[in-house]
Amino acid sequence: MSKFNDRIFGLVMLVVAIAYYYGATQFPAPFGGAEAVGPETFPKLLAIVLGICSLYMMVKPDPDNAWPVARTFAELGIAIVALIVYALLMEPLGFILSTTLAVGTLCWRMGAKPLRGYLTGLVSGVVVFLLFTYGLELPLPLGLMEMH
Amino acid sequence: MDTLHYLSLGFGVALQPENLMFALIGCFIGTLIGALPGLGPANGVAILIPLAFTLGLRPETALIMLTAVYAGAMYGGRISSILLNIPGDEPAMMTCLDGYPMARQGKAAEALAVSAIASFMGSLIATVGLILLAPLLARFALTFGPAEYFALFVLAFATLGGITGKNPMKTLMAAAIGLIIATVGIDLSTGTQRYTFGVLELYEGVDFIIAIVGLFAISELLFFIEEKAGAGREMIKVNPLKLKWREIASIFPTTLRGGVLGFIAGVLPGAGASLGSFITYTLEKKILGKRGDFGNGDPRGVAAPEAGNNGASSGALVPMLTLGVPGSGTTAVLLAMLVSLNITPGPLMFTQNAELVWGVIAALLVGNLILLLLNIPLVGVFVKILSVPPMYLLPVVTMVAFVGIYSISHSTFDLYFMIAFGVAGYILRKLEIPLVPVILGLLLGPEMEKNLRHAMQISDGDWSILWSSGLSIGLWLVAIIGLLLPVVVGPILRRRMQAAKEKVG
Repeated sequence: MSKFNDRIFGLVMLVVAIAYYYGATQFPAPFGGAEAVGPETFPKLLAIVLGICSLYMMVKPDPDNAWPVARTFAELGIAIVALIVYALLMEPLGFILSTTLAVGTLCWRMGAKPLRGYLTGLVSGVVVFLLFTYGLELPLPLGLMEMH
Repeated sequence: MDTLHYLSLGFGVALQPENLMFALIGCFIGTLIGALPGLGPANGVAILIPLAFTLGLRPETALIMLTAVYAGAMYGGRISSILLNIPGDEPAMMTCLDGYPMARQGKAAEALAVSAIASFMGSLIATVGLILLAPLLARFALTFGPAEYFALFVLAFATLGGITGKNPMKTLMAAAIGLIIATVGIDLSTGTQRYTFGVLELYEGVDFIIAIVGLFAISELLFFIEEKAGAGREMIKVNPLKLKWREIASIFPTTLRGGVLGFIAGVLPGAGASLGSFITYTLEKKILGKRGDFGNGDPRGVAAPEAGNNGASSGALVPMLTLGVPGSGTTAVLLAMLVSLNITPGPLMFTQNAELVWGVIAALLVGNLILLLLNIPLVGVFVKILSVPPMYLLPVVTMVAFVGIYSISHSTFDLYFMIAFGVAGYILRKLEIPLVPVILGLLLGPEMEKNLRHAMQISDGDWSILWSSGLSIGLWLVAIIGLLLPVVVGPILRRRMQAAKEKVG
């Protein structure tokens, strides 16, 4: 069983710890002179703890969990892209349309029939929109539908 | 008699129509959240926090609703254990052992009813324990100075992995990551900008609610996609209920023992609900010996772990309410709620926000009764919703998380941030780095730093103040034991729990 995951993550975290420590040394001196414990003390402490933990992880790594291969990995990518696009389109397209797209795509990629997936998206989008706009009086973006 | 006075004050708050209504809603949603596999209580409560905000609820109402969700989730966990043989959340695992066999013998309704009654008893006992213990602990905690608090925070992180935790170093690393994220933003006492890189959105720091929802909800979605678990599983049909009073009476001693034991496990740092239900089940098996038929559908095997895990979940509220130091993921999320309502958790809450604290405690009692009444007749409704396959459910839940976060600030920047946290959460979980310490670090970071500064100001820069009183030395010792114990005892306990799990599979 390979143990690369922990070693690589440990290395990344070690770099983070060093950069973070360096960052703490670069804070401008606070107004009114330095105190016993300034804004940099706690971060320095944390950087040391993180550094020790990441060294330990590199020296004594746990066995790897399998990462998803090719197809599943692509599915995960699709899901993440769908979420980003959802956030991107929320305001320009409006809540209902963007929700239909995002929820529908996720349902479909998780194994639902496309039509039923997008229908789930549409229905849930409309219900939540009505609930928020009229029930709670918190307007969600209308986007394209504002024209009417 | 102070306690009785405060308790009646609490009932005054809990029984207000608005609070009662939100307790009812909370119980219902909580049971659903607990029942759905892959939507644990911490996750569910996290998604609901932004909604509670946007509703503009009063602090006590918001907290009552979320506590009801928390209690309900513990009830709900058993439904999928019994009907699907999949625990809805981790503590419900032991319920599978006898619950699923009972369901296969055509006694699903009885198993559900027995477990509901046991849950009720466990919670009731633990809530009484909470009422007795919490004010005492709060009064004791008033003697804590900043140095003791700093040590207490270290203790909380050290024991968070629990005795059954795998790798204490990873718990520590997770805590450090959380604390590091918490330092981003403008330093409150000096006004120094820390790690903001000139990004305006980072000036106020990272909103932990966004982090929590991202870490839990989005990473859960990614895990479901990876495991291709979208279709759900075949469920056992529920038969009409035929439960005699004699049968209820026969589980009574079991629930009593389970509730007490669970409460203790919940209060102690590092034990938690999973261990609570494991211990109660094992103990019950030992006590009843040959008189029981454990593992083959003995009702007492259903009652024991349910009383245990509900007892533990109420017990876990004790350190959260009195010390401001949560011992589990869900109580950490509840704490997040308090912090964002501008209420400083800790012993002072019992005097300064007496109505809130006692209102919540009274609401726990009321909520429990609601849950019992809700769970026996309405079990059919929950079962129906449970049969909606995750491939429809999880995308909708994700959408609700999006709406919640968006409605806090109406900024899409927060949404990207949430997605980033979700991906990070997925990677951390893959590496078996626990997420709860990250969240606790985010939450407690500012408070921990403040106490460190206070202590150092008192001692004029002498670090030894951190371990100069008997109390603080005691806390440090427990923290060290908390880190060492998993290495020594952990493997044995884990093996036993694993053995139990394999029997389920």
